Amino acid sequence: MLSDNDIKRIIEAGLDKKADYVEVYIEEHNARSVSLLNSKVIRSGSVFDSGIGIRLMSGVNTVYVYSNDFSIESLIRLASDAADSLKDSNSSVDFKLSNSVRTEPFIVVKDPLLVAKSTQVDFLREASDYALGYNPLITQVSSSLVSEDRLSRIINSKGINKEEMQSRVRLTFSTIATQGNEKQTGRVSPGWQQGYEVIENYPLKEKAKSCCDQAIRMVSAGYAPSGMMPVILCNGFGGVIFHEACGHALEATSVGIGNSCFKDKIGHQIASSCVSARDNARIKGEWGSYYTDDEGNDSSDLLLIENGICRNYLVDELGSRRMGMPVTGCSRRQDYSYAPTSRMSNTYIEAGNEKPGDIISDTEYGLYCADMGGGSVDTSTGEFNFAVNEAYIIRDGKICEPVRGATLIGKGQEVLMNIDRVADDLELAAGVCGSLSGGVPVTVGQPTIRVSKILVGGRK
Amino acid sequence: MDISAAKQFMKRLIDKSTSYGFEEAECCFMQDYSMSVDILNQEVSSYENSNEQGISFRGKVKGQMGYASTTSFEDRAIDFLLKEAYENCLVLDDEDEEFVYCDDNDKELFHDQTTPSFSKNTCASFSVVGLSLEKALKDIDPRVTAVDYLSISCGTGPVIVMNSKGLSSYKDSDYISIFAEARATSEGVVKTAGNYWFGNDVDLFDEKKFVDVLGKKLLGKFGASSIKSGTYDIILGNEAFISLLSTFFGSFSSFNMQKGLSLLADKEGTVIASEALTLSEEPMLDKALLKIPFDSEGVRTKSKNIINKGKFETALYNTKTARKANRQSTGNGFRSSYASSVGILTTNIVIKPDSLDLEGLCKEVNNGIYITDLNGLHAGVNAISGDFSLQSEGYLIKDGLLVRPIEQITVADNFFEILKKIRVVGNDVINYPVDMGEFFSPSIVIDSVSVSGDE
Repeated sequence: MLSDNDIKRIIEAGLDKKADYVEVYIEEHNARSVSLLNSKVIRSGSVFDSGIGIRLMSGVNTVYVYSNDFSIESLIRLASDAADSLKDSNSSVDFKLSNSVRTEPFIVVKDPLLVAKSTQVDFLREASDYALGYNPLITQVSSSLVSEDRLSRIINSKGINKEEMQSRVRLTFSTIATQGNEKQTGRVSPGWQQGYEVIENYPLKEKAKSCCDQAIRMVSAGYAPSGMMPVILCNGFGGVIFHEACGHALEATSVGIGNSCFKDKIGHQIASSCVSARDNARIKGEWGSYYTDDEGNDSSDLLLIENGICRNYLVDELGSRRMGMPVTGCSRRQDYSYAPTSRMSNTYIEAGNEKPGDIISDTEYGLYCADMGGGSVDTSTGEFNFAVNEAYIIRDGKICEPVRGATLIGKGQEVLMNIDRVADDLELAAGVCGSLSGGVPVTVGQPTIRVSKILVGGRK
Repeated sequence: MDISAAKQFMKRLIDKSTSYGFEEAECCFMQDYSMSVDILNQEVSSYENSNEQGISFRGKVKGQMGYASTTSFEDRAIDFLLKEAYENCLVLDDEDEEFVYCDDNDKELFHDQTTPSFSKNTCASFSVVGLSLEKALKDIDPRVTAVDYLSISCGTGPVIVMNSKGLSSYKDSDYISIFAEARATSEGVVKTAGNYWFGNDVDLFDEKKFVDVLGKKLLGKFGASSIKSGTYDIILGNEAFISLLSTFFGSFSSFNMQKGLSLLADKEGTVIASEALTLSEEPMLDKALLKIPFDSEGVRTKSKNIINKGKFETALYNTKTARKANRQSTGNGFRSSYASSVGILTTNIVIKPDSLDLEGLCKEVNNGIYITDLNGLHAGVNAISGDFSLQSEGYLIKDGLLVRPIEQITVADNFFEILKKIRVVGNDVINYPVDMGEFFSPSIVIDSVSVSGDE
């Protein structure tokens, strides 16, 4: 691996040419995974990756080079050649390498990478066996456990010299119910930035039952209706709607180049007054948490929307240069092969004061979304789409029959204004967000909320 | 790392595997040199350059195949790979046997498809193309206010597979891709549209054609509104059909069929689609950017009809699923990266075109919808049952003509039902990269599809 002096030489190679900012990102990544299908272990894998990414900037002009060849002369050549392709910044940077600071967002008790695979298999197999025997309609049960350590070191010409160790575990359990040609899935996929102790305490058998029940209910469900209607979104992963419809449009990646429907909206109302939302990267043990971002800045607990008013954007170094706003510690990347950019961490709508049951009983007719799939958004127009994994018709204030195949579409700006009820049952859920800097672990979250009208795309 | 050093490392790895108790062993080395240039506001906003390499090992112990991978090529990496793969074998209890393959007549497989024109790919040459393209896009119309994304990238790098049965395969290729997304604004209404180009010689990029297509897509969206919910006959545009087909193509994988994850299980030899549909795999297709003579297991690829006039002739197999089905691999055992296991992926997939162009297809439909874009395919589908409900855009067809753009609608149906409801296949073929190769498809006409709108 590279010495402090090697890294200093790389940074100086960039600064000596045209750059006004040079950043070195070094990463070591260890991962272990095990996958079961119908209680048989069909895959068990191990990965060790390492690499280095060097970013140089001159104003907003950026060059990014990466490699997993750590020979110092080739890296200096890479940095020097990269600097040659920059516009001249005409600036002189006084660079001194400071002492390294290490952060660890969560101290693991039991390193999952050291837990025997056979122990992990036994844990998954017990729940798989249970699910396979739960009901004859359950025809497939799959499960997996992925554990990883990621050690990142960030050194830049502003004097930052930090490293952070992040340890994550993610469990996925899914069941398929079959009835004739129809197949439906029940799924949970929690993730944490914690040690194996969180897995040992996770009630997987109980969750396996929920997955089976969900798949069985949905396999005999009729198709969802079509048209505009009130929609109640469950707590937890229902927050994907905020993540997609609003969160991405608050990132400097889009605001900084003017292609966000929320550009120039700080201090303006962008959501109903019952909506407040945050992006908090510092929640201990959460899947999307980190203390040091991938530019070496301290992460933050950022208020995005306060009672409907837009308060902050998510701003990284490049966004800061484009927008003239300070960085917010939100710069992230999948790994060394991506230049970092502004991303969300743990993003959620804050809890309100109402009871979920009251919101349902006050709704004459609509759709109750008990489990959401993924979605996507065009940040310029605000147009979004979300898949609904599990939904029910609400009739006369009661949750009635299940329906399948629903998609919600609309424009983020309109949906945020149409949120009219917010419950007190905030919950977070793990996911992976894909964007310009790759797939990063995020949590989405919200309490139960009602949107007074959304277009539901069904088949009836 | 040069190729001979990589091969020596691989040989040492395989030789040492017997001392760890592996009965069979294989390793795969991949190297990737890539470069990309992004343009924003008549400047090179970003330039990326990379050199990556990685190696994976798979070895068999007592009938189970364990995997491990790394980017390290130090000597200690050999022991890391062998130790981890061995320990992984010990926990496996897969009922379907995986094995390494070598055809005695095809031990040394070599395919170098790199082009001399790759040397023209520099930051400077891409900048010239990108700056000119951005200007041309902004000049389409005063309503075009920005080009939010414009990226030109290229890549190349060898893939080497060696195994303990004597297989030594080598392939290399290169590509260039250009993506652009432009934004237009009119009376407060914002619209975006994108276009792409793939090739391996940047001098063959046709800027005017690219700009014309993008401009038509973008400006054609103004004036869009929703429609009344109902059942419509639709033209599924070539781009939209490729995105739908590629999303559900896993149903043609023998792995999914054998594991109960595809409704096409036990359907080989039966009619699953309209007679209008013939779908083939052409690994060495002349017009394809990438020709693929063999897969990641060293099996020679071959042309075949997957669906012939509606009849499902063959699924896609690798050596593992073929052995289980007591038949030969179809040469579809591919690794998507050095770290991935051998799965089932496609090469070049071709929908056989018929005679009608888009205008003719509109006349055929007479009254209905032309769908140009399907969004949310990563989420709004049930990949097993085939159900989908997707946010869509397009045009209303009235009396055989495109009369106005449509937005804020969803199209909902079932992929397997769609295959049966294809009335006509058009002739407006486009190509788009999927898996190891490309999909080639024209637009198609489908009868009676559920559409939701809020008009």
